[in-house]
Amino acid sequence: MHLLGKLSWNAIPWDQPIPLVAGAVVFVALFAVVAWTILKGHLPYLWREWITSVDHKRIGVMYTLLALVMLVRGFVDAIMMRSQQAIAFRAPGYLPPEHYNQIFSAHGTIMIFFAAMPLMIGLMNFVVPLQLGVRDVAFPTLNATSFWLTATGALLVNISLVVGEFDPAGWLPYPPLSELRYSPGVGVDYYLWALLISGVGTLMTGINFVTTILKIRAPGMSYLRMTIFCWTALAANLMIVAAFPVLTATLAMLTLDRYLGFHFFTNAAGGNMMMFINLIWAWGHPEVYILALPSFGVFSEVISTFSGKPLFGYRSMVAATMFICLVSFTVWLHHFFTMGAGADVNGIFGIATSIIAVGTGVKIYNWLFTMYGGRIRFATPMLWAMGFLVTFTIGGMTGVLLAVPPADFQLHNSLFLVAHFHNVLISGVLFAGFAGITYWFPKAFGFRLHEGWGKAAFWFSLIGFYVTFMPLYVAGLLGMTRRLQHYEVAAWHPWMLVAAFGIVIMTCALACQVTQIVVSIRRRDELRDETGDPWDGRSLEWATASPPPAFNFAVLPDVRGEEPYQAIKRRAIETQQLSSEAQYEPIELPRNSPTGFIAAFFSTITGFALIWHIWWMVGLGLAAAYAVFVWFAWRDVEEYEIPADAVARADRDRRRARAEWLDHHERAGEPA
Amino acid sequence: MTPAKEEINADDVAPGVMEAADHSIRDGIQGYLIGLALAIMLTVASFYIVHTPLIWGPGIPVALVVLAIAQIGVHLVFFLHITTAPDNTNNVLALAFGVLIVALVIGGSLWIMSHLNQNMLPMDQMTRMQR
Ligand code: HEM
Ligand SMILES: [Cu+2]
Repeated sequence: MHLLGKLSWNAIPWDQPIPLVAGAVVFVALFAVVAWTILKGHLPYLWREWITSVDHKRIGVMYTLLALVMLVRGFVDAIMMRSQQAIAFRAPGYLPPEHYNQIFSAHGTIMIFFAAMPLMIGLMNFVVPLQLGVRDVAFPTLNATSFWLTATGALLVNISLVVGEFDPAGWLPYPPLSELRYSPGVGVDYYLWALLISGVGTLMTGINFVTTILKIRAPGMSYLRMTIFCWTALAANLMIVAAFPVLTATLAMLTLDRYLGFHFFTNAAGGNMMMFINLIWAWGHPEVYILALPSFGVFSEVISTFSGKPLFGYRSMVAATMFICLVSFTVWLHHFFTMGAGADVNGIFGIATSIIAVGTGVKIYNWLFTMYGGRIRFATPMLWAMGFLVTFTIGGMTGVLLAVPPADFQLHNSLFLVAHFHNVLISGVLFAGFAGITYWFPKAFGFRLHEGWGKAAFWFSLIGFYVTFMPLYVAGLLGMTRRLQHYEVAAWHPWMLVAAFGIVIMTCALACQVTQIVVSIRRRDELRDETGDPWDGRSLEWATASPPPAFNFAVLPDVRGEEPYQAIKRRAIETQQLSSEAQYEPIELPRNSPTGFIAAFFSTITGFALIWHIWWMVGLGLAAAYAVFVWFAWRDVEEYEIPADAVARADRDRRRARAEWLDHHERAGEPA
Repeated sequence: MTPAKEEINADDVAPGVMEAADHSIRDGIQGYLIGLALAIMLTVASFYIVHTPLIWGPGIPVALVVLAIAQIGVHLVFFLHITTAPDNTNNVLALAFGVLIVALVIGGSLWIMSHLNQNMLPMDQMTRMQR
């Protein structure tokens, strides 16, 4: 047996310039960043304040950052696929088939697991404890571990770019193609171990947030006083807890097939490949709502704030959220209507699928009625929200179309399907992510993002989306199936050209986003948020300073109704004074811990070793990762104390800014 | 962070927290012992009935299912401390949610998988066609 398992110099694709150059660029950039931080002496700061941080706000920011970086990586894959299909009409294009397969698999995997999920989880991390009026999540160190395990998964997927290959069998690698017999390379193994490891992190996030929302809320914050974002976070995390074990178990079975010669999904020895498809979608459909629900939450906050009104139909919103949470576990068969089930099974799942749209429909109307009669401010987050309303409705309707089994027999696995899910995911997750980032950015960093560049990014994204994906609906109706490396049908070609042009527009959007961040950082003094409430917000995160102190609230807020912060402001304006200063007490906070980072470091080594069958390294990595947990469990001091006068100092600063705001408000004589 | 007691809503405390406050350790241990005894009894019973003529042969699987469900009940009550008290609403709801999802996924999978060959010709017709 080889000391390095299957690993050798041939694992690096010397003969394929594209991944090699791309990988080299990524690694040079990474190396440059690391070298710069070390040379500039930032490493101790990074280690102390970020890498070992267990503060939910820091972890939220890191999740979001990971998501944005992976979003760019996934976007590069998208550019390659769109350009390949634009030129591969009666031609081989520039991407050989085995490379094209890896690109579409990597695109889907990265976008769902390492861009969309971290984006939503990042926003939840940052916002939920603030909106609940508390100081952290239930298990802060576990939270950090979740993040770093997700990063491990992302790292493994990116290592596959230069060492070996990535999964060539799709973002949900269906057997028998993904079995060892037909995919003998390490690609599927990269996929499996990346998702098995990061899946553990996601499951722990689910447990953490369910516990936080059910158990840790500010005094008086009853369930029906929570914001809709907290409700959707609760629903999404309940679904994570219920659904992610199914994903892990399914992938574990495929792993057993590939590593130990099991026969869960093989054709031989009593296996059944259709069971994989059944199980993976029993996770997969809930997953799309795990992504969509928090995004509905973001839009609920944004639309209510920028319409200057309480959310219309709060209780029906809660009901619709929990309805979707349950019903999304009853529809998974719509992803494989064509696999052979009879008319009765297909009929029932088709109807159940259409019924889900009712829950979403309720929400759409609630958002419209919130806007109706409101004083709408067309700030960037609100633009994303309005773009979402229109675009998502179209995507939902094509979904209902696909939910009709006879129609689906025609459209399944065509580009129509691809257009449908990009339609709902781009508007429902990406737009929400950008709305949320623009909305909460001042809370996180103390200054707003530049509005002009934000709006430009919005318009390019919106138009770019339509130009890229509407042609795919047409091509799908013309019979073009998904994942074609090249094709011969002339009728499809023009639509592929239009879609490729759409990607150019999307690239402009990306450029605007980057410019927005750079410009905002350089002009941060003009964009400073002094009061901690830049948008005239209504929920508790705006009651604290921007950026919030480590302890979030000097004194836990006393919640007396819905929209607690709106009530506090109204009281302050009516009485022309801030509420009297509280009795400050020392605050205990959890100490930072490198547990998550070290555990993830060894998980990365374990995962890499498992992929390449380097068994001694597997043992070493597992033992070390376990040792970290033991070491953590034996720690003596868990918390540190912030003395009362430090708390008082921080809070008096905040009160001074608020008092100024109140003076201003008096003179302006505006109604609240 | 371990929140101070008053930060937590009084009506949803983790199971066991209240018990530790008002029961003695002896009561607690007694509960576990009763649970252990019941669990062992149910386990022994399920091994026993497989080998006795006490139950009509085809009924044995049913009996095993009943014993298994009783076993789950014993674990929930004596080891996981699920009760009907108001401080337990969250746990009961979480349990109900879990049971519902497991039932949906397992039941649905069985139903789906048993239907997947619906659109295939029956085997005898298939062989006839091949001839
Ligand atoms: C309005 C409710 C929706 C309905 C009725 C619906 C219906 C469907 C149907 C029937 C399919 C399967 C089509 C086929 O494979 O032939 C499908 C695929 C898909 N949908 Fe939806 N959908 C809805 C909303 C969403 C949302 C909100 C998301 C994500 C945020 C989403 C993401 C997806 C994805 C990712 C796929 C296919 C993935 C693949 O095959 O690789 N859908 N949808
Ligand atoms: Cu679905």
